[in-house]
Amino acid sequence: MAPQADNRPDAPATPLVEVVPLGRVSQTAVAVAAANLQAIFNLNASVSAPWPEPTYALVPTRGQYDAGPILRALAQDQAGPPLRLGLTGRDLCLPFLSYVFGEAQVEGRAAVVSMYRLQDAAQGGKVSRALMLERLAKIALHETAHVLGLVHCQAPGCLMNFASSLASLDRLRLILCPDCQTILARRRQRLRDQISQAPQSSRGLPGPKG
Amino acid sequence: MSAALQVLVVDDELAMRESIAAWLRQDGHQVTLAESGDRALQMLEQGVFDLALVDIKMPGMDGLELLRRMKAQYPDTLVIIITAYGSIESSVEAMKAGASDYLLKPFDPEQLMLLLHKAGGQRALLRENLALRQRLADGECPGFGDIVGRSPAMLAVFGRIEEVAQAEAPVLITGETGTGKELVARAVHSRSPRAYGPFVAINCGAQAESLLESELFGHERGAFTGAVKARRGRLEMADGGTLFLDEVGEISAKMQVALLRVLEDKRFQRVGGSQDLTSDFRLICATHRDLSQLINQGRFRQDFYYRINVLSIHIPPLRQRTEDIIPLSEHFLEKFARETGRPRARLDGAAGQALCSYPWPGNVRELRNVIERAVILAPGDKIERRQLTFLSPQAAEDAAPLTLAEMELNHIHRVLQAQDWNIRQAAAVLGIDRSTLSRKMKKAGLRAP
Repeated sequence: MAPQADNRPDAPATPLVEVVPLGRVSQTAVAVAAANLQAIFNLNASVSAPWPEPTYALVPTRGQYDAGPILRALAQDQAGPPLRLGLTGRDLCLPFLSYVFGEAQVEGRAAVVSMYRLQDAAQGGKVSRALMLERLAKIALHETAHVLGLVHCQAPGCLMNFASSLASLDRLRLILCPDCQTILARRRQRLRDQISQAPQSSRGLPGPKG
Repeated sequence: MSAALQVLVVDDELAMRESIAAWLRQDGHQVTLAESGDRALQMLEQGVFDLALVDIKMPGMDGLELLRRMKAQYPDTLVIIITAYGSIESSVEAMKAGASDYLLKPFDPEQLMLLLHKAGGQRALLRENLALRQRLADGECPGFGDIVGRSPAMLAVFGRIEEVAQAEAPVLITGETGTGKELVARAVHSRSPRAYGPFVAINCGAQAESLLESELFGHERGAFTGAVKARRGRLEMADGGTLFLDEVGEISAKMQVALLRVLEDKRFQRVGGSQDLTSDFRLICATHRDLSQLINQGRFRQDFYYRINVLSIHIPPLRQRTEDIIPLSEHFLEKFARETGRPRARLDGAAGQALCSYPWPGNVRELRNVIERAVILAPGDKIERRQLTFLSPQAAEDAAPLTLAEMELNHIHRVLQAQDWNIRQAAAVLGIDRSTLSRKMKKAGLRAP
């Protein structure tokens, strides 16, 4: 899997994404998400101290977290880098969907990823830890790309394909198609421009649109 | 992204509406929200929707009643019923009333994605059907249509059409007025993988800037005085097909910037709108102007020029391919005979010679008009030199003397052409009643092309 690093020497060191563990989350998983954002999207990522378990988002009848309130909470806190990616070990859902691997505010500020289903094998049982972390990296990148304004893409194998199952997620490569790469590069540059123009006190901007 | 759809979400629960909208936006769809059946009907009045996701249980008008009204008034919009309180009775009732599907909340992401693909496919079929009907109405031929030529220059053009048709990059067609740039654009479209998508043409030179903006980008309701209803622009209409910008050299600098942004970002907004829209079209531009000269004069943006001129086709003027004049004339004689139901006329030797020696400043369009006039003027099935009336004064002097009736008919024809076949205006120029002009036109078999 060839990473698409945009390792330009002048890439600024200011973090653009903050990876936020929500409750008890493996430190390795957090580090993998941050490292892939850095290596594949060239987005400087920082890791925050764990936030409390988002029990406010619990849907008691389903035993899952509703992704909507978590996104709002992640977006609401204006401190820190302009983008924020939450990681949770609990299953995520939406009011109308039985589950989601992750959810994001398109052209907003926040995304959230669940690791709950990522260890499951298609035929039952568990997959290796390496495959689980690869799945996590794919979803983390996919959802962060949504926050940067990318939408689903149908180019074969592109990371922005919609993956409704683990089998379809496993078929995706850890790579964007050329069209999505172009859009990502433009949005990343816009973000960097906004950061460099914003005063230190308002580094959290721009705020969410959705 | 699957084909971007215009989706209307109707649900009385705010959290449900917003979460569905957020999820659909990730897939690139344009989403409008309505909290009740009445509000949904208002939205449908203002815009065009490919798909509606409708909750059954809502205060006031329920989802099933809304479904029935939508199927009566907006049959092209697919409706998917969603409910948290499913029953066999309500699902049967919904399907009988015309729902495309019935989903029980919460449903699997895959189920919804499949339905979105189905809706996208149905919309594509609908548009393809409209495009095909339009092409049949336009009398478009499946081959090169009215592009006729056996000269090496035109054979090269045909070869170039075949080459560029298979690519996706923008095409710039250059050539003098009347050489058939739109016909070439249509030929590229009809040979491209987008042949079953729409071919949407707009003459940029014939529109004021504000009108052109609204025509291209569409507008939202209330965007300006008179915008009583939201309207899709040509960019949206060309989704899945080809957008043809004729006379692109006449576009203002402001519009060039706006179009450049669309070509780069693949996103745009309607006039007065704030929602980003996407459209998957191939761009073909045409101009009779020398764009590089316009760039030197600062009247055309260089970056826009490079964007639209990735592939190019130049159509040579008719005077540089005289061997095409007789085949073209024969083609038009055949066409007019077919259209009028009269016997096919033939050119005599002197007429053919006159056609070949004329410089044709108006190119193929002028030749077509000359042949059409000659068919009307010729008493029998033979076209003689004296029935050929050229617009160029020198050629007119060379022509054989005409009868008074022929002179009158020629003059009427020219005035009608100059007034764009507006009978009221042409009658005013000629100083006769509209009814008199209509009578003379009917008698001579003159009609708008």
